[in-house]
Amino acid sequence: MRQKPRYVEASRCTACGACAEKCPTKVPNEFNFGLDEHKAIYKDYAQGIPSVYTIDPTHCRIFQGKKCGVCAKTCQAKAIDYEQKEKFVDLNVAAVIISTGYELFDATRISEYGYGRLPNVISALEMERLLSAGGPTKGHLTRPSTIRAEARVRELAKRIKKAETDQDMENLGRFQAELKWLEAQIHKHHTATKLGFIQCVGSRDFRFHKYCSSFCCMHSIKEAIIAKEHEPQTESYIFYMDLRTVGKGFEEYKVRGEKVSGLKYVRGRVAEILEDDEHNPIVYYEDTEERRVKSMTLDMVILATACSAPKGVNPLAEMLGVELDENNFIKTHPNRPLDTSVPGIFSCGCAQGPLDIPESVAQASSAAARAAEVVMTGGLALAM
Amino acid sequence: MASKDVLIIGGGIAGMQAALDLGDMGLQAHLVEKNPSIGGKMAQLDKTFPTNDCTI
Repeated sequence: MRQKPRYVEASRCTACGACAEKCPTKVPNEFNFGLDEHKAIYKDYAQGIPSVYTIDPTHCRIFQGKKCGVCAKTCQAKAIDYEQKEKFVDLNVAAVIISTGYELFDATRISEYGYGRLPNVISALEMERLLSAGGPTKGHLTRPSTIRAEARVRELAKRIKKAETDQDMENLGRFQAELKWLEAQIHKHHTATKLGFIQCVGSRDFRFHKYCSSFCCMHSIKEAIIAKEHEPQTESYIFYMDLRTVGKGFEEYKVRGEKVSGLKYVRGRVAEILEDDEHNPIVYYEDTEERRVKSMTLDMVILATACSAPKGVNPLAEMLGVELDENNFIKTHPNRPLDTSVPGIFSCGCAQGPLDIPESVAQASSAAARAAEVVMTGGLALAM
Repeated sequence: MASKDVLIIGGGIAGMQAALDLGDMGLQAHLVEKNPSIGGKMAQLDKTFPTNDCTI
């Protein structure tokens, strides 16, 4: 096993955060899908475990051959170690559990939905970060176009100052006009209150994944309910083929979404998303209950992106010798849902297919029990 | 003596639950995660259905 270096000595770091406060390098925060920035020495999230900071060597100035070393100077615990090397650890194990999870379907592959091109079309996981109190907007439903506009306003303020000192009248007028327009836009469209949730983005689609990702109906309903809790004037429309709320208490949750939170379920698949000149997404869809093609202008569109097998699973499967199914999930047998094709190697969670959290946890406990069976009997359980 | 350790690849909700269960059974679990923090996709979620409980 290869242990990657953190460039921070884990036994010394107290996670006080002084290093990140002083670090001069800003990096788009992948954990929040680039909606904000963190420093080149960072923690994914405040409660992250192990509670140790990590240096990102692709952005840290020291690793780019530049002069810096601010974090090492700031750190009172003397935990920073730029010389840390990767370590190779040999493990002798009696059983293996594969719980490598899933990857979000890359929605840019469905070009008609404009993901990546239209700023206010986001994935459901980005929506989770926007709704989270620990997220980039501290739980406020700010439109991504507004987040971008705010960053541009800060940049323009600097440019206007420079143009003023340089007496560059031509650019000054241009920047001021842009600033005025952006400020009006930010004021007008600050919070997203009319939301559209599009189901089955990449799943149940013969061009991509034929299977159902199973948890998206529920998480879209959940996000719409939470959005309503944050902003009581929020209106949410869920565009679906059929709502698959299978699970304990799930159907009741769907009904509650409609009755209590006022969600509107629209049966129909969305054909295309365009936007107007104020970055409001316009959704074109067929309302299959009324048998009419309609359009709706919204503040923000949330795509329920499919659960895909992670790209890194192929080399792992090859290394362990386990078989994958036709969708690149770990192959299991219906009667032995945790066993892979190799005795002593088990899998649980989304590594073997789309599962929600209660199912993943139940499988994990079962996989632990199966592994323990093998370990405790010295492998005898495998022969049975 | 033969090893009684278990290797768990992936520190999301499933891997963490399996590791905790094995630990409770008195076995040594090695939890391997590629990111700086464990938690996986669930750590990125705000609330969970159907109870609207916080994730972390």
